[in-house]
Amino acid sequence: MMDLLAFARGPGLKYAMFVFVFGILWRLIGVLLLAAKVDRSEPRHTASWKGLRLIVLRLWPRREFLQRTAAIQILGYAFHIGFLVVLVFYLPHVLFFEDVFKGLLGTNLHGLLGVSWPYLPGGVIMMAGTVTVAALVALLVHRLVSPVKRLLSNFDDYFSWLATTAPLVTGMMAYSHVGPPYQTMLAMHILSVELLLLWFPFGKLMHAFTIVISRAVTGMEFERKGAAL
Amino acid sequence: MTGLHDIGVTVIGPGAADTLSGNAAALLHEIATLLAALVQEGRTGAIDLRGIPLTSADRAYLREQLGEGEVCAQVSALGPSEVRETAYRGVWWVTHHNADGELCAELIEITPLPAILASDAGELAQSAQRLRASLQAAGSNP
Amino acid sequence: MRAQSTVGEALEQAGISRRAFLKFCTAMTSLMALPPQLAPAMAQALAQARRPSVIWLPFQECTGCTESLTRSSAPSLESMLFNMISLDYHETLFAAAGEAAESAREQAMKDNYGKYLLLVDGSVATGLDGAYSCIAGVTNLQMLEEAAKGAAAVIAIGSCASFGGLPKANPNPTGAVPVSALIKDKPVMNISGCPPIPVVITGVLAHYLTFGSLPELDALGRPKAFYGNTIHDRCYRRPFYDQGKFAKTFDDEGARNGWCLYELGCKGPVTYNACATVKWNAATSFPIQSGHGCLGCSEPDFWDRGSFYKALPTGTWGGAKTLAVAAAAGAVVGAAAAALARKRQRDIGEKE
Repeated sequence: MMDLLAFARGPGLKYAMFVFVFGILWRLIGVLLLAAKVDRSEPRHTASWKGLRLIVLRLWPRREFLQRTAAIQILGYAFHIGFLVVLVFYLPHVLFFEDVFKGLLGTNLHGLLGVSWPYLPGGVIMMAGTVTVAALVALLVHRLVSPVKRLLSNFDDYFSWLATTAPLVTGMMAYSHVGPPYQTMLAMHILSVELLLLWFPFGKLMHAFTIVISRAVTGMEFERKGAAL
Repeated sequence: MTGLHDIGVTVIGPGAADTLSGNAAALLHEIATLLAALVQEGRTGAIDLRGIPLTSADRAYLREQLGEGEVCAQVSALGPSEVRETAYRGVWWVTHHNADGELCAELIEITPLPAILASDAGELAQSAQRLRASLQAAGSNP
Repeated sequence: MRAQSTVGEALEQAGISRRAFLKFCTAMTSLMALPPQLAPAMAQALAQARRPSVIWLPFQECTGCTESLTRSSAPSLESMLFNMISLDYHETLFAAAGEAAESAREQAMKDNYGKYLLLVDGSVATGLDGAYSCIAGVTNLQMLEEAAKGAAAVIAIGSCASFGGLPKANPNPTGAVPVSALIKDKPVMNISGCPPIPVVITGVLAHYLTFGSLPELDALGRPKAFYGNTIHDRCYRRPFYDQGKFAKTFDDEGARNGWCLYELGCKGPVTYNACATVKWNAATSFPIQSGHGCLGCSEPDFWDRGSFYKALPTGTWGGAKTLAVAAAAGAVVGAAAAALARKRQRDIGEKE
């Protein structure tokens, strides 16, 4: 009978990462190997690779839509950037990723480039985490209040929100020793991450990978047709 | 092959701050309260100095504020212990060391006489017997 | 070997004065975070207390716990333990006495039925009906059941007796279990650690004799006075952790400057014990002070929690091979899904 933390750090992590990698490969290969629609029209521009610009262009809304969408866009970036900062610059996370790196490539960043991955002080991470959770809550409120968004939202939207927010909240609670005893809180944090990993390949969180593919394809089609990007 | 002393080792103390933490002042207030209780109700008290984090500045401040009294007693029981009365009657600074000279307890006792100084009642009777026996033995051999 | 004499009488016989005993009690109250003014009352209560009969049963163990307790040479806090109890049986210490020791044990258990303290170190083998570990032809399993029947309380000394320890580690060939898994009808206290800090045992016994009950225990049955804080919470290197100063390898500059050992696998943040405050060998040092990360030896199953030298957050995530299998399997399923989709598209196209 293994206790919760030992399970979370051990078998739980193993299975979750297995399903994560399995699911991502499944969905990506499943999409990339689909038959492309044959376009028999005469291309306007043959250098359709120039359409890849769309990946970058769509990072910010078009001028025409800016007034209506800027706030949500900013909140979205606050969440994404804050999440990235917490995930990638907090020391215990860095140590975990370095270990995975080492396991997969045989060496870590220090061995490759001579520098260690940098990390930020805990206090800064807490601030970033707070901003991230605040943005997430604001986005959820918007989704619930806006009639259009509410109409369009489904289980995927809400569950993905939960799977993303839970690791942040549990992580910050564990760090500040708030709530259940530290070992339990740490176990809950790791388990919430495992939930995120399990859910990731099967919902809208896959946009992390598909957004690049999708914009690339759209961009190239537009460029070929001669449409404005 | 170099020797052990060629290994560059830096010994760094665990950052013993040289600033007052405020705990010494709080302790003094507690001592005052206990001393008042001793006077009014005859209740003895004690404060374990290892139970509160004290910086070296705190200790120096405490010693300075409490001062030195008239009594300094050395007790030798499973190692040396020192019992000093401070400048305030009834406030004693007691330090216990074990046989290897390491500190095993340090406290401030608020009492007319710390328990470790008084002779134990049970041992009194035994000592009386022993002395009587020793005198008798000496008396029979002039 | 019957526990007739009181602790006071035993002290007298050992030539320990009342003052020395009072000093010991003062040190005990300080150690156990009890109010210091309790010391004289504790000394009096203990002196009058009848020395309890103690039966010490070592089972599937390495004798480290016994060594830890008996190796103090000068009269010390640890050795005071033996003045407070009547050690009526200790299999390792009495080994030379053979059959005589065994009958002494049986006699002591009969004479003090319902009142003796049963101290156990080592895990109990349950595989092959317990045949993996026997003393004088009797399995540990049988011996424990029999001895626990007349015990007032059972104290599991060390991580093996408390949680199963090394014998229970993967693959657990002997079916080792902790004492608490077998004894359900008597109070069981766990003093975990590999070995436990010896003065903890003394402190707990002093508490038991003074107050007549075991001290307050945490969720894993360990006395809160000693297992209430994690090593991390009381570690003197904590300022370095907070400042982000870590040793990256053994003997690097950070290690020589005494920086935090988190990256070198220290399990301090999830380990409850008194090592950082009480320390070892009469408060000389403890692993982190000597430059080695905490192993987490007072926690259950610490042998199976991954390398002692990999940082706590790394966990045991399975390795590259597992993920390679996952990727391959995913790719196969993905390709199959794409093939199905393409077939469906062709069928639709043909239908039109």
